[in-house]
Amino acid sequence: MGVTVLQQYPVPEHKTGTYVIELLTKRILALGATQQGQFLVDCESYLSLPQMGSTKTVHILHNSEQPASVFSILESGTKNIHVIADGLFDLLMMKLSQHYTSKKQTKIESKGPRFELGDFCVKFGSVTMNQNFKGILIEVEYRPCVMANAVWGLLREFLQGLLGPSITVQPPQHLLSRMNEIYAPIDTIYQYLEHFSAYRKVTGLRSA
Amino acid sequence: MANSVNISIEAPIENQIQEITYDGQEIYQAPLSMSENLARLAQKIDFSKSEDEYCNIKKEGETSVEVKSDEDSKEAGYQSSQWPWESVRNKLRNALTEVCVLADVLSIAKEKRYMVLDPVQPEQVENRPMVQVYGRKKALAAAAAVLMAGVDRLRASETMRTARNMPDFHIDLLRLRQNWRLKKGSTGIVGDLSYRTAGSKFNQTGVFEVTKAAEEATAGAGAGGGAALRVAVPPELQGVAFISVLCQKEVVCGAEQEEVATAAAGGAAEAELALHWQQRLEAAQNVLFCKELFARLAAEAVQLDASIPHMVVGNQIMATVLPGIQLLIGLCHNNGQNNSNTHPESVKAEGAAGGKSEHDHVLEHSLHQLLRAVHHANTHHPFPHPATGPLGPSKRRCVAGTHSLHTTLAAHYTRCTLHSLHTTLAAHYTRCTLHSLHTTLAAHYTRCTLHSLHQLLRAVHHANTHHPFPHPATGPLGPSKRRCVAGPMAADRYELLEMSKEQSLLEQIIQQAQHFFMRRRSEYVLDTIAKEVKDPLIVSHWNALNSPTQSCVKINIMAYGYDAVCRTSLVVHVGEKTLKCICRDGRVRHLSYELQELRDLIYCQIYQHQMTAVQAVGRCMGWQLLASSSHLGSGPVEPLGNASSCLLASPNGDRMIAIRCEPSVGIQVFIAQSPRKDFFASELVQDKKWENLGGAFKEIKLEKMEGKNFLNKMELLMACLSSPS
Repeated sequence: MGVTVLQQYPVPEHKTGTYVIELLTKRILALGATQQGQFLVDCESYLSLPQMGSTKTVHILHNSEQPASVFSILESGTKNIHVIADGLFDLLMMKLSQHYTSKKQTKIESKGPRFELGDFCVKFGSVTMNQNFKGILIEVEYRPCVMANAVWGLLREFLQGLLGPSITVQPPQHLLSRMNEIYAPIDTIYQYLEHFSAYRKVTGLRSA
Repeated sequence: MANSVNISIEAPIENQIQEITYDGQEIYQAPLSMSENLARLAQKIDFSKSEDEYCNIKKEGETSVEVKSDEDSKEAGYQSSQWPWESVRNKLRNALTEVCVLADVLSIAKEKRYMVLDPVQPEQVENRPMVQVYGRKKALAAAAAVLMAGVDRLRASETMRTARNMPDFHIDLLRLRQNWRLKKGSTGIVGDLSYRTAGSKFNQTGVFEVTKAAEEATAGAGAGGGAALRVAVPPELQGVAFISVLCQKEVVCGAEQEEVATAAAGGAAEAELALHWQQRLEAAQNVLFCKELFARLAAEAVQLDASIPHMVVGNQIMATVLPGIQLLIGLCHNNGQNNSNTHPESVKAEGAAGGKSEHDHVLEHSLHQLLRAVHHANTHHPFPHPATGPLGPSKRRCVAGTHSLHTTLAAHYTRCTLHSLHTTLAAHYTRCTLHSLHTTLAAHYTRCTLHSLHQLLRAVHHANTHHPFPHPATGPLGPSKRRCVAGPMAADRYELLEMSKEQSLLEQIIQQAQHFFMRRRSEYVLDTIAKEVKDPLIVSHWNALNSPTQSCVKINIMAYGYDAVCRTSLVVHVGEKTLKCICRDGRVRHLSYELQELRDLIYCQIYQHQMTAVQAVGRCMGWQLLASSSHLGSGPVEPLGNASSCLLASPNGDRMIAIRCEPSVGIQVFIAQSPRKDFFASELVQDKKWENLGGAFKEIKLEKMEGKNFLNKMELLMACLSSPS
């Protein structure tokens, strides 16, 4: 488990997501990476019912990198509480359906190929919400290091080289405050949640 | 017309908006139906107001009529006479009337002028004691008659039984029930022999039937202590079975291996019928256990990917332990009816070969232990409890990582946890009506206490079948504690794959057999060396009881009488296929299973010991160490190690002893003295002073010297050289 950075990649006009992913795949294969299967990160959000007082949101995320775990993040106003549990947590959420309702329409996932290039692990995910394509997220992990501060320069250089000069690479919002702490799998999940929420907002104007 | 303006007219919203969907569509609430509207209006009735009215009624009864008429007029205005609330209003009015009357009565009674209220005597219950007595007597007599009839019947059967000296069926049944699981089926009593309650997952059933023995049979067997109870064990579980483990040198011809399949002589079936049911059931259970053990081992032998593949032939498993040594695990089952398991030739082969190779009781015992440990692990999940069953990834997520690693992992993972899944799921689905997510979680983990009740009962079951041994053969089996927290610790796929590696029974037993051989071989080597080498004594202390796959031996090399002066000790850890030697100087050497390596090492240690010991003795005697080398470059090349030497000088420096030690030759001792006695002035060396140079070294015939051992001889030598000549 190393430091992971999640980066949004814009899809140019009149181009499809598959085209962009193929383009990136060609680029990374040219660098000498090998494809190591697929990956999937999904996120489902549950809203608490009004009887329970102030509305809270529970996000349930799965990451194929940690196949035995279920990540849940409880958004209650200012503070986010996360719980990492095993697979039974999904069933528990089912049992809690009378307190938390699932917002099926907002189930969002990032899915795509997974590459390994030396110490780096690169994943190109196309984000879909209800089978609607939303955008492309690129995940780069540098596995030998667990301190974001120590490896950020390397990751930025790698990303810049991979994505081209037109993309500005910034450290993720979530990592800014914890650059000197030990990176944990939940930090990846927080980054995904950040991006997923942003994607939901972009298209969620009508539902507001 | 040109500058006309489009005006859109929209009807005002009549109904409330219930929801706005994500595509902007508005969903309206349906308009209220008549009854709903009424109910809504009824909610608006202020009941506190009517209470005030009630107060008014108390004061002036007539006003209530007015109120009612007022209401009536309202209703009439509202709708026709058949108003849905008509009945309610009527009832309310009736109640009001009654309350008014009661209030009037009370107010009149309070005045005490027109009416007085007197307490009324309750009606006396007619009391006739004799009738009750008779009734009770009759009831008691009826009950007693029932009991007496039962006693008579019991007594009659008892006298008949004692008269014929027959064992009691029910007492036997009671005893049977104390030790075995029984249940009443539709036709008779059925029992269960299987180890399922103790955690076994073997699919063969162990059902037996309990019947009452026929009268004449019990009467006949009565004298011999026969039982009134008969158990019918299924034919596949009858007879005697055992697992035999045999370690032997690899045999080229296959026929000779038949010696394993063997059992007691025929005719066991008749003998078996005469046995007590307890012994029969125990034997049958043993058969079941052996079958499960063998089935498991055979399955593992086929699955395991060994460099030399394991063979499963009939009821025998062959595995290569060490080069040239085979482990044979056989299931011997002799059920008196069909002799298909025991080959006819094997019986006579056993006679010939039986004495040659003894089967290994320790390994057999270990096998039994291992399976029991598996059973135990199946029922005893480590804490934290309800979370024991990680579900593994969902099917879709399995597909997401389609490369081989992930799929194997997922398959393995789901298989491993299928059992725990069942138990935990059941628990989940029956409970859990909690209010918030995080309280649920907390409760989820405190449910452990409830679980411990189940555990206690399990422990009782476990104690019935698991007899305590002082045997440490239990390896870490079942889902480990680490695996239980794999989900919450967010273990990634590599860690999970690492965790899912589990040792099978066969692997463990092979390891134990390997260790057994390593231990025996090293014992043999050490014993033969101790026998061969007399001079430094070699004492080995074995510590072999701690683990079935590890033992260690401490070897002390010392000379008799000089153990305080010098002692070389080294420790050898005997593992499964390798030896680890930790020498005196802290160096660690890893040796393979070849015996010669250990042998060479010990020999080197012996000679090293002699050299250091001589130096130590020299120090004690006041001799001076001039030089020493443990790896001497001169002389012929040694087959093992190097020659070593040292040079000692006497306290006043006029004598010298040189010792050369070659493992292949032995120890040679040379002495030299100065001034040399054979110094004669020659033409080249004329000066007398040169006689002080040490002379030529002369070898000493050690074997001719006095002394118990080498060190003793050296001590004597030094002593006599120290004295002024």
